[in-house]
Amino acid sequence: MPRLRAMTASFRQQAFHFLSAPSWLIPNIIAPFVITMVVLLMYQEVTGPAILYAVLGGGMMGMWGNTLYASGYSIQSERWWGTIEAVLVVPSSLIWIIAGRTIWNALIGVVNGLLVLVIAVVAFGVPMDIADPFMFIVSFLMTMFSLAALGLLFSSAFVLTRQAGVLTNGLEFPIYVASGCLFPIILLPGWAHPLSMSLAPTWGIDAIREAAGFSPEDSIWATVLGASPDAGFILLDLAMVALLAIVYIAVAVILFRVVEKQARLTGELGRV
Amino acid sequence: MQFSRVFWSSAVIAKKALFSWLNPSLWLMQLFTMSLFQIAMFWYIAQYVNPGQSLDYIIVGNAMQSIAYVAVFAVTNITGEEKESGTLPAVLVTPANRFAMFVGKAMFQVLNSMATVAVAFFYAIVVFGLDFSSVDLLTLAVVIAVTCFATVGFGLMLSSMGFYLRTTMVLANIFLFMGLLFCGVNFPVSDLPEFLQPISYAIPMTYGTDAARMAVEGASLTDPAIMSLLGSELLVAAVAVLIGYAIMLAFERLARRKGTLEMF
Repeated sequence: MPRLRAMTASFRQQAFHFLSAPSWLIPNIIAPFVITMVVLLMYQEVTGPAILYAVLGGGMMGMWGNTLYASGYSIQSERWWGTIEAVLVVPSSLIWIIAGRTIWNALIGVVNGLLVLVIAVVAFGVPMDIADPFMFIVSFLMTMFSLAALGLLFSSAFVLTRQAGVLTNGLEFPIYVASGCLFPIILLPGWAHPLSMSLAPTWGIDAIREAAGFSPEDSIWATVLGASPDAGFILLDLAMVALLAIVYIAVAVILFRVVEKQARLTGELGRV
Repeated sequence: MQFSRVFWSSAVIAKKALFSWLNPSLWLMQLFTMSLFQIAMFWYIAQYVNPGQSLDYIIVGNAMQSIAYVAVFAVTNITGEEKESGTLPAVLVTPANRFAMFVGKAMFQVLNSMATVAVAFFYAIVVFGLDFSSVDLLTLAVVIAVTCFATVGFGLMLSSMGFYLRTTMVLANIFLFMGLLFCGVNFPVSDLPEFLQPISYAIPMTYGTDAARMAVEGASLTDPAIMSLLGSELLVAAVAVLIGYAIMLAFERLARRKGTLEMF
């Protein structure tokens, strides 16, 4: 129960931080937004589902961009403000505090993703014909959950480094490329496929696209099986999203224990 | 004499400050990965959208645009970082020439930008198969050097707003990626809606990417088109630096009057 209270309190604290300076939403969303606009302009001569493919990918990038930046900077900001030691010495384990923040960040990530979708629909007149609205929402929420878990995993690594901001900037494009947000991962070289498949967003965007009505030929399952699957794959995608999220959380729990101990041993936690 | 001393010492201190904060191995990681993944992203997208078409346009555009991380993002944050470190008032109470000081601080980023583009072109040729057979190397080198100086100048204009804004990070992020949309990196500027095109021509990078494409196709420095592009790029950058300097002086006065110099 005290753990849940710590998580709820840190969720509220993160919400207040966000509401005190909502302009910070811009750095989180600008790259996905601009890239989606660029892709839509590149697709000008292409019509039909390819446009929706790009827009959904942009929404996914919006969610990921927010998770990455927020998890990187939530630790880094504590360092700048000189409050990180105070956070670490409270009786609650750091993972519960970070988890509360990460859940808030993932929620804002969904808002980011939806914002990219809405702007693309309004500005470019992209038709949003969703084949299965229920599964579309379920896929969106499951992906949000997996991104929160991935954010938790990254946060554990960011505790140890005073250069979380640099790592955050450096990880943005690699994940966009590896997760195949805007193109099928079959285009990537074979050695990169295991890396792509280890990312929950890869499966999440696959599920979102199928729920939107895309045929399986460009799906990740075509890469896995070597041929287009005959039946729907959305439940399998979501199972992979859930499985990977559980793995991320398990690894994050272990890493947070190691990192907390290491931070106390070296005494360098507050170095900016 | 004092101008050049302030300029040089600011440049040296900025370089020392960067590496006292940033681990050199991380700096190298940034240098060698940023451009690779940016080019890869748009290379794959273009392959998916228009399979079979030449991708050289996109490769050169993104190789040039990769300097934005350094020349726009890092330079824009110069004043913001002074503010967050609590050193801005100390810097501003000195009698040193403001122009020499802030331009000097940005100079290391010009070298950093050149290294970034060099690495990006290496990937462009080796990894992405850019056709480099007709290139005029001297012209390309001059185009890269001019674009790096011009883009850093543009970054300085954005940085001057840090005297007034609570943070420059938001501005830096906006302009870091805006180049992808406005500067003819992935599609010609003429593909943009007409009312947006003037923005493209107010950013030096637009001229730099076009000039670099021409150099890769073999145009020489004496080509009137190249000379015109480089001239326009330098002119836009000079105007940006002058506007930035005027903004800096105005915002410094305003911040002193309102007592907001340290607010972030």
